[in-house]
Amino acid sequence: MTTHSAETARPAHAMRRYIVVFATLAAITLIEIGMSQAPLVASLATGLFLAFSLAKATLVVMFFMHLREDSRIYTAIFLLPVVLVLAFSTLMLMSAGGH
Amino acid sequence: MAVLGLESIRQGDRRRLVTFLGATALLGALFLGGQVYEFASLAGDGITLTSSVFGSSFFTLTGFHGLHVLIGVVWALLTLGKGARGRYSAGDTMGVEAFGLYWHFVDVVWIVLFTIIYLI
Repeated sequence: MTTHSAETARPAHAMRRYIVVFATLAAITLIEIGMSQAPLVASLATGLFLAFSLAKATLVVMFFMHLREDSRIYTAIFLLPVVLVLAFSTLMLMSAGGH
Repeated sequence: MAVLGLESIRQGDRRRLVTFLGATALLGALFLGGQVYEFASLAGDGITLTSSVFGSSFFTLTGFHGLHVLIGVVWALLTLGKGARGRYSAGDTMGVEAFGLYWHFVDVVWIVLFTIIYLI
């Protein structure tokens, strides 16, 4: 499924990159947990949590699932449901807000 | 850990593949242990699958996720066993890659569930 060209060329680099991605994911999670204890405006907190969640999912898919090394068609297949979910969620929230 | 196992076998290092897959299975089992503890605690507080909308949503979402993690742990152990027997090499990593894709997809699902259930 992947070409692996960048990683097989410099294996030590690949290992280091995975560890950096893991550390980034752990850091974002710690920030999220800290934020959940802070007195933030609910709508702001929800937006930030969703943005962090999307960022973490993107990191996992791009690096741990090697999407960034794959054909662009796989990226499109992954992105389409995300776009649809965001669109439908927004429409539902707008609808709920009107009632 | 799963991706480090894949990277190890891409480099032809079977021993590290087995180590990282073992760590993957162990961490997955720890996650399941945490879930069992949490489920028992909530049940002790009267929150069950049928007690409320929250209970139904919580146990259904996290329960199905736990089931997928359990499948992943079994798959990790099977892949570990094959790796230990020399089934994979630098030129044949598809079995490890398939497991890694499954495991990290379950990971992505947890990122979303964690945000929705525990943070928001």
